[in-house]
Amino acid sequence: MTIGKTGGRALQFMRVVLVVVGSLFMFGAPAQGAAAESELTIVASVQNQTVLDGVSEKQPVAGVTITVTFASGAVVGTGVTDTSGLISFPVKTRDDYLVTLDIATLPNGFAMIDEAKAVSSIKKDDFTTSVKRATFFTGSSNTSSQTLLDRMIQRGADGLRLGLVIAMCAVGLSLIFGTTGLTNFAHGEMVTFGGLMAFLLNVTMGIPLLISAPIVVVLGGLFGLALNVFIFGKLRRRGVGLISQLVVSVGLSIVLRNMYLYQFGGRTKPLNDYSAQTVMRLGPTSITPRDLTTAILSLLVLVAVALFIQKSRTGKAIRAVSDNPTLASSTGIDTQRIIRIVWFAGGALAALGGIFRGLDEQVGFEMGSRLVFLMFAAITLGGLGSAFGALVGGVMVGIFVEMASLVVPAELKNAPALLILIIVLVVRPQGILGRKQRVG
Amino acid sequence: MDWINILQNTCRALTGVDAAYFALAAIGLNVQFGYTGLLNFGQAAFMACGAYGIGMTSKYFGIGMWWGIPIGMAFVIVLALLVGIPTLRLRADYLAIVTIALAEMVRLIVRSVRFKQYFGGSDGINGFSIQFRELSPFDPGAQYGIKPFQYSGYTVWTLLVGWALVGIFATLVFMLMRSPWGRVVKAIREDEDAVRSLGKSVYSYKMQSLIIGGLIGMFSGVIFALDRGSVQPDNYSRDVTFYILTALVLGGVAKVSGSIVGSMLFWGIFVFSDNFLRELTKDQPLRIFGVTVMQKIQVGAINYMLIGVGLMLLMTFRPQGIFGNRKEMALDAR
Repeated sequence: MTIGKTGGRALQFMRVVLVVVGSLFMFGAPAQGAAAESELTIVASVQNQTVLDGVSEKQPVAGVTITVTFASGAVVGTGVTDTSGLISFPVKTRDDYLVTLDIATLPNGFAMIDEAKAVSSIKKDDFTTSVKRATFFTGSSNTSSQTLLDRMIQRGADGLRLGLVIAMCAVGLSLIFGTTGLTNFAHGEMVTFGGLMAFLLNVTMGIPLLISAPIVVVLGGLFGLALNVFIFGKLRRRGVGLISQLVVSVGLSIVLRNMYLYQFGGRTKPLNDYSAQTVMRLGPTSITPRDLTTAILSLLVLVAVALFIQKSRTGKAIRAVSDNPTLASSTGIDTQRIIRIVWFAGGALAALGGIFRGLDEQVGFEMGSRLVFLMFAAITLGGLGSAFGALVGGVMVGIFVEMASLVVPAELKNAPALLILIIVLVVRPQGILGRKQRVG
Repeated sequence: MDWINILQNTCRALTGVDAAYFALAAIGLNVQFGYTGLLNFGQAAFMACGAYGIGMTSKYFGIGMWWGIPIGMAFVIVLALLVGIPTLRLRADYLAIVTIALAEMVRLIVRSVRFKQYFGGSDGINGFSIQFRELSPFDPGAQYGIKPFQYSGYTVWTLLVGWALVGIFATLVFMLMRSPWGRVVKAIREDEDAVRSLGKSVYSYKMQSLIIGGLIGMFSGVIFALDRGSVQPDNYSRDVTFYILTALVLGGVAKVSGSIVGSMLFWGIFVFSDNFLRELTKDQPLRIFGVTVMQKIQVGAINYMLIGVGLMLLMTFRPQGIFGNRKEMALDAR
């Protein structure tokens, strides 16, 4: 191989990377711009923290009077928190401020966890960004009156919800593995992409979520397609080995995650629509209408995916390529086309998972990379390369992880997923629906 | 633009403690990844074993700091068996998945409130390094060395110990890889089935390689903790392993000198670009054609982005690194 030729390829590759990177920057640009150009703001937030079975839940408290004063005592402003428990005060200068919560205005049944923390002081140097938050935590006095069975049902329901999202994100991961052999460690970043795009459209541009969500899903699909066309497809054509491709995907995940951090900042932020919800009772469990809707939608999407793979012509072709790419291509299936479809579908599903995840928790630059490990546990459990395995494994991992939080502290609730991984690999390394010859 | 300062910092980084602990971790990772072909993505967890080993002894067990080293070794062996037993019989990427999960779990556990009494939660552990400080023959207040390679007394002591360990382990690994054991391990990387047909227990060799690499990585964590005088859980996040991998691939896989030179270069480049970008954005955000491209707080993200791009490009165009031999980069034999 001559140096000139390699250099040319290298340049071409770098140009492609730059184009992808550049286009992403353009996508994300308004989010940063909006934050940077506004003036200084103090945002006071009042959150009610309930710790139930070691799982801490936070809910906003509305109608609490907050006063901001200078350190000298001169009043800057007074206001009442809204339904998200938030009130913001624009301030002119970087200075020392005191933020005071009026305990008398707390709703009945709410009390400060620590009354000494009803006053929060903000120092001049704390304004590292244009927005400075002061958060107050209250704790309501009702303790857990639920029985163990109630809690198990509640956790099971939450787990099912988490599992459906994991399954949705993991189908693409598994199919990509099945058709190309790539273990894509950047798949979590494809989930984050969906969440951040939803934030860009819904919050920065103000497009209602019902309209922006389909756009985000298509963008997510195009993102997946772009990764295949500009990076992994090129690597396959160069004959780069699967392990090297795996390491490239690790590098890609570092690049993307830090790009998100660069554009979006390190803090998690909520989407605009459906963020304030009231809990309703549904049989023995309580759930917000939003979460119920996303759960039903996830279920519908997964059923559609399953039917597509089982019944449609393209779905059959995908399964054929997963089984044996060489044989599939010799029967006239366009393997590269199938791989493109799989990357598109995987990206779209991951983006949808990112939107749902962003609604459920909040949007942040690490939201997907936190999930990627559960996705790997899911597809290992279900069987690497099998779409149905990812569905089954995802739901099982979700339920297991949430159920485990009955005994494991909430901060460690992902730890049992490692246990699943190890047990599966010892007992049945090919997973529930996997085939033995793949294991190695 | 303060070029002198930037260049001085860059030179200092080339031989600094960061390069030394990276070199140790990279030598360990090289045993696993470079020579045996094991995809260990949890080197950070093995480093944490060493750091928490010495951190916990003096702080919680009330025994001398040096006991931390055997304790850390025990941690490493337990973790290596935990991830090795299920995965080393399987295809290479299973080890990658499980070790990456392990690294994440170790970090979550050591920073959890539940185990705060042992691991110090997110605050970590401080104040365990007195015994090490007392051994130092250097005056901690004075500056040693000639510019630009100038360090304070305590750092010189850590550097001396760190680079001495690098030298020892580099020699050991070099000799090990020329021994019959090393030849078997390299043969496993090339063709596992052929080695099996010669009657060698591939599984056991892989496990030994995983443990040896982990133990060397453990010393990296020890040096890191001694230098900082504290153990922080977030210093052992999973990305640390990938930065070490980048340093290793940069220097050259399956070459002892590659891990050392790679770590030095990695930190040289990283500190250079970090200092350069910070100087660029010191007074005002960097603007190109009136568009704000970079603010001061974004420098970190851009730097890590560059590492990721570097890893991708290296893996695609020069997987053997600067000094490596392409023939030794037969990772896809399996």
